[in-house]
Amino acid sequence: MTLSINQVTKRYQDFVAVDNLSFTIEKGEIFGLIGQNGAGKTTTFRMILDLQETTEGTIMWNEKHINSINRDILGYLPEERGIFPAMTVESQLYFFGELRGKLRKDLHKEVDYWIERFELEDKRKAKAETLSKGNQQKVQLIASFIHQPEFLILDEPFSGLDPVNKDLLKNAILELKEKGTTILFSSHQMDNVEELCDHLCLLKRGVSLFTGSLLDLKKQYGKTKLTIRTDISKEKLEKLDGVKDIQVGKDQYTLTLEDETYAQSIFDFVSDGKYIEKFSLDYLTLDEIFKDKVGGTNV
Amino acid sequence: MSKFWLLVKQLYTQKVKAKSFIFSILLYVVVISAVMFWSDIKEALFKDEPLQVALVNETDADIESLFKSDNDVEFTFPTEEIAAIEKQVVDGDYDAAIFIKDQEKSLAAEIATYEPLTFNDQLSLSSQLQYAGKLYEVQQLNLSAEQAEKILQSETVISMKNLNEQSSTGKSEDEKAAGIGASFLVGFLIYSFVMTFLSMITTDVASEKGSRVLEVLLASVKPSTHFLAKLTGTFLLALTQIGTLLLVQGLLFMFIDNGSKWDVVLDTINELSVGFIGYAVVFLLLTIVLYLIIGALLGSLVSKVEESSQAMMPAMMLGIIGFYVLLSGMYSPDTLLIKIFSFIPFTSGMVMPLRIGATDISSFAPMLSLLILIGTVVLLFLISLSFYKRSVLTYSSGGIIQKIKTVLKVTT
Repeated sequence: MTLSINQVTKRYQDFVAVDNLSFTIEKGEIFGLIGQNGAGKTTTFRMILDLQETTEGTIMWNEKHINSINRDILGYLPEERGIFPAMTVESQLYFFGELRGKLRKDLHKEVDYWIERFELEDKRKAKAETLSKGNQQKVQLIASFIHQPEFLILDEPFSGLDPVNKDLLKNAILELKEKGTTILFSSHQMDNVEELCDHLCLLKRGVSLFTGSLLDLKKQYGKTKLTIRTDISKEKLEKLDGVKDIQVGKDQYTLTLEDETYAQSIFDFVSDGKYIEKFSLDYLTLDEIFKDKVGGTNV
Repeated sequence: MSKFWLLVKQLYTQKVKAKSFIFSILLYVVVISAVMFWSDIKEALFKDEPLQVALVNETDADIESLFKSDNDVEFTFPTEEIAAIEKQVVDGDYDAAIFIKDQEKSLAAEIATYEPLTFNDQLSLSSQLQYAGKLYEVQQLNLSAEQAEKILQSETVISMKNLNEQSSTGKSEDEKAAGIGASFLVGFLIYSFVMTFLSMITTDVASEKGSRVLEVLLASVKPSTHFLAKLTGTFLLALTQIGTLLLVQGLLFMFIDNGSKWDVVLDTINELSVGFIGYAVVFLLLTIVLYLIIGALLGSLVSKVEESSQAMMPAMMLGIIGFYVLLSGMYSPDTLLIKIFSFIPFTSGMVMPLRIGATDISSFAPMLSLLILIGTVVLLFLISLSFYKRSVLTYSSGGIIQKIKTVLKVTT
């Protein structure tokens, strides 16, 4: 066990930001913290980073209290982006690397590698303020892990990135995982969480609604999402046993089943022993589960 | 390099290379040089024609010899009729005509002009006429020229003897005059440095907080380290600016005009006591530190850099008050107002050097004022350090008081 959050509560005078939160993250794992705005994600990050104190509970890193560890093993990308506007890309990366305890000579290789990897070669000597928002974000992202931290916290790392840069970031996160970095991140974009996370914690107003593996969460709901392409009318499909809801798409229906056991009888009815173009039974997406758990409001 | 020095270096190198920093030094040099070389500049750029004055002496006494022409006034002694001379004044041949006559054994003078004289010209003519009037009356007493001269040149020799052993020895008028001049310079420098660096540190902390880079920094260094690094970095910048300014200004004085102004500077320094210079330097540095602490604290309260000018307003007001009190003491440095403000830590740096330099003050008062200032710096540092840890990651709207309330609310 690497990070362990035990019954942590953060209470202010008139509200509770985080309520009795517990989860653990294993070494080399990617852990997702998801929740709406104000769910307590950033407060949790700040308590882990020792920027805020816990009201109750403990946060441990390798059995040691998080306040007592050397902070250089941590990397952090805050939700709102911030870099030094008048500093060049290169000097910014060296500065943050040195601030995290690395020697300048040990940073050359890393700086060169990540600048090239994130396609910032021509911006190396440019001041950060002259870069586009997306490029600034890439610089800050590199700055957060240039010192090769053991534990990296990324608060909304994907927001504001275009699809190409999102893929770059996704691959970088996976590369860091392979190197053994433990990663905790939050995101509003559930597809990213779904693709990257091994385990997750679903927060609503400071309270954990679910903590565990993504697969376990999906299994809770079962394979109840059925997508079919057929000429049969919506009215006929609605009358079938086990169908809770039908959404009509462009050229297909998406049925929500009460239980995955009804799938067989629906298949028999729809195919009638003949070839069928599409019949797909799936788990709910994380996005759908999230909306169901937190009450259908925007993420 | 430790994290503290990394932060100091980052702040220092960024600011010291900034155009505004270099420009402000140049501006100081230009302003100080303009003040010191004002008479030369004035002569070179605005060379006035001397004032043309016709003087008509209707008495028997030899008064003409008392009115010597110089660069400012050129006297002529026409013998025409009064009406003719007045016409010449109207026509602009003369700027003024002075008719001097006897009036019951005293001298009476009438100055006739067409365009009103400037205040300075009027003052200069009046004082010459007063002197002539005194001489005229002395002559009426039938004294010899030497006797008359002796009376007119007589001057009481006044020396000060201070019977209070606690107090420093009395200062001569020269010392006091040098003290006032130097105090004004010290006060002005403290005021402008305080304003410059208060603004610099407040904006710097506010911009780091506003851009959220502070969150990243504080994830790896303690808030106290960050706070100390900001104070140290900005203080080093202040020292750099003062040092560069003194160096550049000194070199300019030494090499321009054969070092004539350098001699003036040396003469002024010679008139000043070592105590004055020592106190002035200590007050200058401590006052800058005091305002830097306030500036960093105020910067940590705001949520974005745009709010920093509003946040630093209270501290600016304190500085401005100090400066105005200093100005009020330029002609009478012994008032109660000056005495009171020379003990208030936020203004003592500007006001106390004036009292030390220009008044006979006991050694106890500056020492007490300095101790109050040191005590305030230490106290404010401790309070700010504890508050900075809490305010630096709290974002809120509203005025300064509202922001302080929010910080206390969410962190206690």
